[in-house]
Amino acid sequence: MAVPKAAVVLRHVKSVMVRFCPFQTNVETTRIFLGHVNSKKARASNISCVVTTDVRHDGSEPVVDIMFADGDRLIMKGANLTAAEMLSAFNSRCIAKDLKAEEKTKKKGA
Amino acid sequence: MAAALGCRAPCRTGWLPTLQIVRHAKSVTRHWKAMHFERQKLMAVTEYIAPKPAVPEKCIAPRIKAVKEENGYAKLLRLQVAETFRDSKMIAVCQHNFTPSEEMLLMKHRLRKHNIHVKFFPNEIVRPYLSVSKYKNLLPLFVGYNLMLVSPEIKVKEMLRILKNMPQINLLGACIDNTILSNQGVINYSKLPTVEITQGQVVGTLSLMASQMCGLLQHSSVHLTALLDQYIKQQSGGAGEADGKAGEGQAELGPAKSSAGL
Repeated sequence: MAVPKAAVVLRHVKSVMVRFCPFQTNVETTRIFLGHVNSKKARASNISCVVTTDVRHDGSEPVVDIMFADGDRLIMKGANLTAAEMLSAFNSRCIAKDLKAEEKTKKKGA
Repeated sequence: MAAALGCRAPCRTGWLPTLQIVRHAKSVTRHWKAMHFERQKLMAVTEYIAPKPAVPEKCIAPRIKAVKEENGYAKLLRLQVAETFRDSKMIAVCQHNFTPSEEMLLMKHRLRKHNIHVKFFPNEIVRPYLSVSKYKNLLPLFVGYNLMLVSPEIKVKEMLRILKNMPQINLLGACIDNTILSNQGVINYSKLPTVEITQGQVVGTLSLMASQMCGLLQHSSVHLTALLDQYIKQQSGGAGEADGKAGEGQAELGPAKSSAGL
């Protein structure tokens, strides 16, 4: 399992909702993603971020629903994704938001 | 000079080389010294060539694979897993996200009060055991970081109450009394009344039918007697209306006398 070592940073995240059915066989990557989101460093990066887990038994697909602080929403259906892909998609968006925030602060400073 | 050039001394007994170099370097040296060219050629020609069999030995003899000895710790863990599944009536599998050690300790303490033990086993040990045992349907749960809550008694309400306070521990499924339940199934199970109350309800429902049977059987005859009584009263009431009026007057006086007496 090639999972990047870079920690998950939840600075721009308002809430994370993970929904899966544990008796299915395609939930491994979603569970790994949930473990990373709940890690020590991730929780320390943003204490006000709410991480909810919805465990069901209805045969539905595993879904990760991330709500960002600026209103953006990222929905990832983890049935056919690897954990590395999910984390890289999430991290790329976080980095983009970081850059935006930096540009804003520079403009304000200037 | 003559010595350097060499001496040409004829010999009667044999053949001697025409030139004998007297001045030469040492033959036994501390560094590696190349052999004389003629000696090199001789060594190359007389080199040993090992006899090769027609069919190489590798093709005939099978490769002996080294038998990997099983790790003693893995064996011990497997025994512990088997013992846990054998002795527990309630086995709950939860996803274990990061929990600070203090919270984990508190949770373990609270669960221990209700005789619920927290067990951690590696998936590599548990999965082969489950695939062979009767708990095959629990296999999909054992992926990633898990923990097991096991208990010889069934105390679902207390377990759910404690897990409610721990958002990092997510209940995935449970095997209670040889029945595999999902998260919702466990919640429904906790809302069920106790066994004694349920047994009492069943006994009451069964005895209700038996108690109603007597009434049902006698219902028709009781109804008939009531109707007959009513008829008799009607008949006797019509005949003795006059007597009844006198009787009523006496009856009125009677209570008035009694009230005056009091």
